[in-house]
Amino acid sequence: MSLIITTMEQGLIYGILALGVYITYKILDFPDLTVDGSFPLGGAVGAALITKGMSPFLALLLAFLAGALAGMLTGLIHVKGKVRDLLAGIIMMTALWTVNLRIAGTSNVPLFSQKTIFKNDLIDRMFPGTLRNYATLALIFVIAVGAKLLLDLYLGTKSGFLLRAAGDNDKLVTSLAKDAGNVKIIGLAIANGLVALAGCVFCQEERVFEISMGTGAMVIGLASVIIGTSLFRKLSFLKTTTTVFFGAVIYKLCVGIAIKNFEPRDMKLITAVLFLVILLISTERKRKVKGNA
Amino acid sequence: MMRRMSKKVGKLTGSLAAVLAIAAITGCGSKQEAKNEQGEQIYRIGISQFAEHASLDNCREGFLEGLKEEGLEEGKNLKIEVKNAAADMGTASQIADRFVADQMDLICAIATPSAQTAFNAAMDTEIPVIYTAVTDPETAELAGKDKKPAGEVTGTSDRLPIKDQLEMIRQILPEAKKIGILYTTSEVNSLSAIRVYENYAEDYGFEIVTAGVSNTSEIAMAAEALVGKVDCLTNLTDNTVVNSLPTILERAKEAEIPVFGSEIEQVKLGCLAAEGLDYVELGKQTGKMAAKILTGEAKASELEYEEISGGNLYLNTAVAEQLGISFGEELLENAEICE
Repeated sequence: MSLIITTMEQGLIYGILALGVYITYKILDFPDLTVDGSFPLGGAVGAALITKGMSPFLALLLAFLAGALAGMLTGLIHVKGKVRDLLAGIIMMTALWTVNLRIAGTSNVPLFSQKTIFKNDLIDRMFPGTLRNYATLALIFVIAVGAKLLLDLYLGTKSGFLLRAAGDNDKLVTSLAKDAGNVKIIGLAIANGLVALAGCVFCQEERVFEISMGTGAMVIGLASVIIGTSLFRKLSFLKTTTTVFFGAVIYKLCVGIAIKNFEPRDMKLITAVLFLVILLISTERKRKVKGNA
Repeated sequence: MMRRMSKKVGKLTGSLAAVLAIAAITGCGSKQEAKNEQGEQIYRIGISQFAEHASLDNCREGFLEGLKEEGLEEGKNLKIEVKNAAADMGTASQIADRFVADQMDLICAIATPSAQTAFNAAMDTEIPVIYTAVTDPETAELAGKDKKPAGEVTGTSDRLPIKDQLEMIRQILPEAKKIGILYTTSEVNSLSAIRVYENYAEDYGFEIVTAGVSNTSEIAMAAEALVGKVDCLTNLTDNTVVNSLPTILERAKEAEIPVFGSEIEQVKLGCLAAEGLDYVELGKQTGKMAAKILTGEAKASELEYEEISGGNLYLNTAVAEQLGISFGEELLENAEICE
């Protein structure tokens, strides 16, 4: 039972990251590698602020803002500097390595003796006795659902509509007398804000910040988005922002199964194969649709 | 037709995922109080190793040897499960979670990130965690200032005998002034070791020159730049650097300066000498502590973490010959010689 709980916990945390990747990869069609840097950025900001005695909840908010700033810079490099999307992300990711080390002070910051969002008097009072085992999951669930609903709300506004248009057809955005570049920058900022938020939650749940925690974050996010959107495509009553969470939980479940039955060193290959199979299925369909037209 | 087929495939993957999910759910069993044929209790230990690495592998082997010396042997009264996180934090944490879900009798964590994730996962349970190859348990918040454990967690530290190392370098190279150290900026252990080096360097008349890298690809250039500025290099237990040791040795050889190691494996590879750790011994020491905890002789929270008792001197005579360096009688007498 406890294994299911921890898998759900991790899946939902990475689901928040996947929400961010969904904005860049699916909506903006922007392969954003900033994610590998903004995920630990959230952790670094969280760890640094919490060890200085700041409220862990406030740290979440500031982590979001820090991530948004990083995303905005990637956007500025791409839009104003006319650097290719992939390279803009790589530049930011590389720079963030140093930034993260500077913010956190060292490469490994333990939070065992600190109060986190998961370990404080309020949580202890709200979840007495055996309920305590579910407290972490419940809290992550609330944060994840909160992030999802806020994003849904935003995508429903005029600015959100422009964001969705920018990926499909930026001429439409221009024809509405709006700057498509600015829309992209806003999208990247929100996406990386979400990614950093996930990083901050992850680091509080693990009670340690580790500089290497961002390695491969982009791939996990992408895998979650693709698994989620491909597997649950038929269930049209589910919003895409919901399915990416399912994708993340399934991804983490696969890792859990791989740990149980395979050597973890085989994990990357298993992920790659799973990834490929799902991609092949979804492109098969696209090709067919085109053939019919 | 094609569309229908892909629909089928889609359904298939869907049901596959469901089957996998069920397999995962039913897979996690409850605690088994297993007994062997003689009716003795079988202890279950989960080993969570952070990365594939010669020193860490030695730790693990030593750990099993240490347990064996205390009468706990795999296949007889011990069941071991080894998992490797391939240097990924998320995986390390999932490994720890699984060991806790499986209600292991003890979790052995090798290297700092694994130790921290295991401690975090087992914090609210009765499962003791024993760690090894953690350089600074105090900074990692696994122990307090007085070596007292932070909970049901204790183990061994692989803090380097840095003063001994400096003294040895002085003995071998009486004229040397500058020591170069390569390190990875992301490794907290390396940074704390460098701080200790810098503290003591002056006592032995040395100056420390460091070069930091962020990954393997930068090692060759950093080594190239560093060898021109110093009289010798000395290694920490920095994972990235140790993994690229052959590259570094090559550059040092071209510049005709010696490289000092931090453990026996490095001397075997071509370092001149090391006042260093024997990770198998460190593992053994850890295994003996684990045996005490398993048999109920002591609780993890009552055992202070230990450092290795006494460093060992390793010398490589073949490398010395190449460099035209001769070791004094006194050194040779106390050393283990690699050729």
